[in-house]
Amino acid sequence: MQIQQIDEQQAARQGDAAEMIIKTRDVDVFYGDNQALKHVSLDIPKHQITSLIGPSGCGKSTYLRCINRMNDTVDGCRVEGEILLDGVNIYGPEVDEVLLRARVGMVFQKPNPFPKSIYDNIAYGPRIHGLAANKDELDEIVLTSLEKAGLIKEVQDRLHSSGTGLSGGQQQRLCIARALAVRPDIILMDEPCSALDPIATAKVEELIDELKENYTIIIVTHSMQQAARISQKTAFFHLGEIVEAGDTEKLFTSPSDERTQGYITGRFG
Amino acid sequence: MSFYPLLIVLLLMSAVGYWFGSKKALGAVRKSSSFITPRPHQFGLYVVIWALVPPVLLGALWVMLQMTPLQMETGTSQQIDRIFFPILVLLAAGGGLYISILRINPDLRVRKTIEGLVYIILILASIVSILTTLGIVLSLLFETIQFFKKVPMTEFFFGLNWSPQTALRADQVGSSGSFGSIPLFTGTLLITFIAMCVAVPLGLLSAVYMTEYASSKFRAVVKPLLEILAGVPTVVYGFFAALTVGVFFRDVGDSIGIDIVSESALAAGVVMGMMIIPFVSSLSDDIIMAVPQSLRDGSYGLGATKSETVRKVILPAALPGIVGAVLLAVSRAIGETMIVVMAAGFAANLTANPLEAVTTVTVQIVGLLVGDQEFDSAKTLAAFALALVLFVVTLCLNVIALIVVRKYREKYD
Ligand SMILES: Nc1ncnc2c1ncn2[C@@H]1O[C@H](COP(=O)(O)OP(=O)(O)OP(=O)(O)O)[C@@H](O)[C@H]1O
Ligand SMILES: [Mg+2]
Repeated sequence: MQIQQIDEQQAARQGDAAEMIIKTRDVDVFYGDNQALKHVSLDIPKHQITSLIGPSGCGKSTYLRCINRMNDTVDGCRVEGEILLDGVNIYGPEVDEVLLRARVGMVFQKPNPFPKSIYDNIAYGPRIHGLAANKDELDEIVLTSLEKAGLIKEVQDRLHSSGTGLSGGQQQRLCIARALAVRPDIILMDEPCSALDPIATAKVEELIDELKENYTIIIVTHSMQQAARISQKTAFFHLGEIVEAGDTEKLFTSPSDERTQGYITGRFG
Repeated sequence: MSFYPLLIVLLLMSAVGYWFGSKKALGAVRKSSSFITPRPHQFGLYVVIWALVPPVLLGALWVMLQMTPLQMETGTSQQIDRIFFPILVLLAAGGGLYISILRINPDLRVRKTIEGLVYIILILASIVSILTTLGIVLSLLFETIQFFKKVPMTEFFFGLNWSPQTALRADQVGSSGSFGSIPLFTGTLLITFIAMCVAVPLGLLSAVYMTEYASSKFRAVVKPLLEILAGVPTVVYGFFAALTVGVFFRDVGDSIGIDIVSESALAAGVVMGMMIIPFVSSLSDDIIMAVPQSLRDGSYGLGATKSETVRKVILPAALPGIVGAVLLAVSRAIGETMIVVMAAGFAANLTANPLEAVTTVTVQIVGLLVGDQEFDSAKTLAAFALALVLFVVTLCLNVIALIVVRKYREKYD
């Protein structure tokens, strides 16, 4: 909470009164008896990139999966506390987690295209949510999504060949396009580049940077350089708690907690 | 010396060899400066191999020689059997023992010899099973050729009438037997079709429930129960079909004014389907479990519901495997005997009506072979022809299953 206040003050001072699209209040997550997140509070600014960093097992993925309630699909996982999306508690009784997931898209660590054609991969979401009234509209959605994901040039003449036949980097951009096709507000990315080579990584990073114009992006990464390169805000997780959160630049140049200092200089993690 | 004392002496010799070999090796290994040497018991095994392999080879050779039609007076042959052979065997064993013990020293590669023997045993085991299959096919083939010398192929493959009762004596009046197999195959198809109509939907849906919907606790209890169902002997299903289900269907038919015989294809097919449910469900269960979790996550992450995910992602991804499972189930249904023997009966009607009695290929094979038989009558030989066709059909089904699975795999990987 304290960190939040400092952060907000800072934001106010810089005249950058970003709107907070997600507010997390005192979230605890348990897998069975094992507590994975402890009193996590974090605000996510709209149309910016927030990166989550921290050593392995500290709860980054768990936090990310709270935001679109993917944890509901895990046997024995329990979430306590409040996560407000545009002021509505997403764990409230009136919220349908399935519809929530259409608003909060997710891209995973390993590219996971469905074993279908490229076209069908992207049309999957629009079809189940009825976003297109006819074939032409669906074509339109597929093409614009591919374009936004910067994949259109590479695949436009093989839309009906299998999505699993693409290269790893292309597959990951296909997954991003697939998420964009359901017109989410927020995109969660869990180490989206960890299975990619440097060139593919650069392409995906470039894409993420463009996407922040229209989408709020939260990205988990193990690469400090990546966090520094692409994100405006950074939160450092350690043993299920948020140690420090704030402007990326400040967190990397003058961290206020020595655990953060230790992690970003590579002394542990 | 006869067989058993000889065997006992051989085993004793190898036991002594083992003991002696290990002991000598222990001394040798201790004295050796070499860093790593084989362990003493491996030297023991080495000696045992040397003591047993030559006599076994000799014995095999001996048996083969005796099978060749070598003309020999029984007296001399018996003498050779009783005296010459045992002496030869014991000499071979003793020689092996002596040589191997002499050769023991720490640098000997005994591990290699032991590994080599293991390798040979494994190869022999697989060759035996392959040869057995081959032998079965060949014997089926030869008997079938015999059969077709007595009954024309066209009658067997295209005849619509099956009544295999041939006259036992030449002067006996009675049917001369007719061997048209079409009614049997249509009967088999009908019952198999009914069984699959029961087993595929139920098995598949229960597999989907178990993998995607059930809690892990429920799964832990129910999955073993289903597997127990798979272990129920088919004869139990058989009398369940004959005494309970068949009668039930007949009574239901009576009450609504439809004529259903109590040995209807329907009863046999439904019960056979029930028998196959655990088979289909446990195979599909494994296949659905093998669909990567990342695909489910991807689908849920896009806001798909559980049933959408199952229908549009999981089942399509698992389809090749499921098709394979269904084809395997079909070939099992075709080969199933006990249930149809008890529930479907022997009447070879040519009909597609599931409410009538039909018979199957397997039932007729049983029918042809029970009781005293002449081995070269057309009636007995017909069983071989039927069996061969059945074998070919199930073989083709399995091959198709493999091809389908492989084709889909190429498409999706
Ligand atoms: N499905 C699960 N069941 C039980 N425990 C889990 C599950 N998923 C995560 N955990 C536990 O929760 C804690 C946080 O895991 P999480 O996956 O969030 O870590 P992470 O920060 O994403 O690590 P990494 O950087 O290695 O991906 C870990 O201790 C982990 O063991
Ligand atoms: Mg993680």
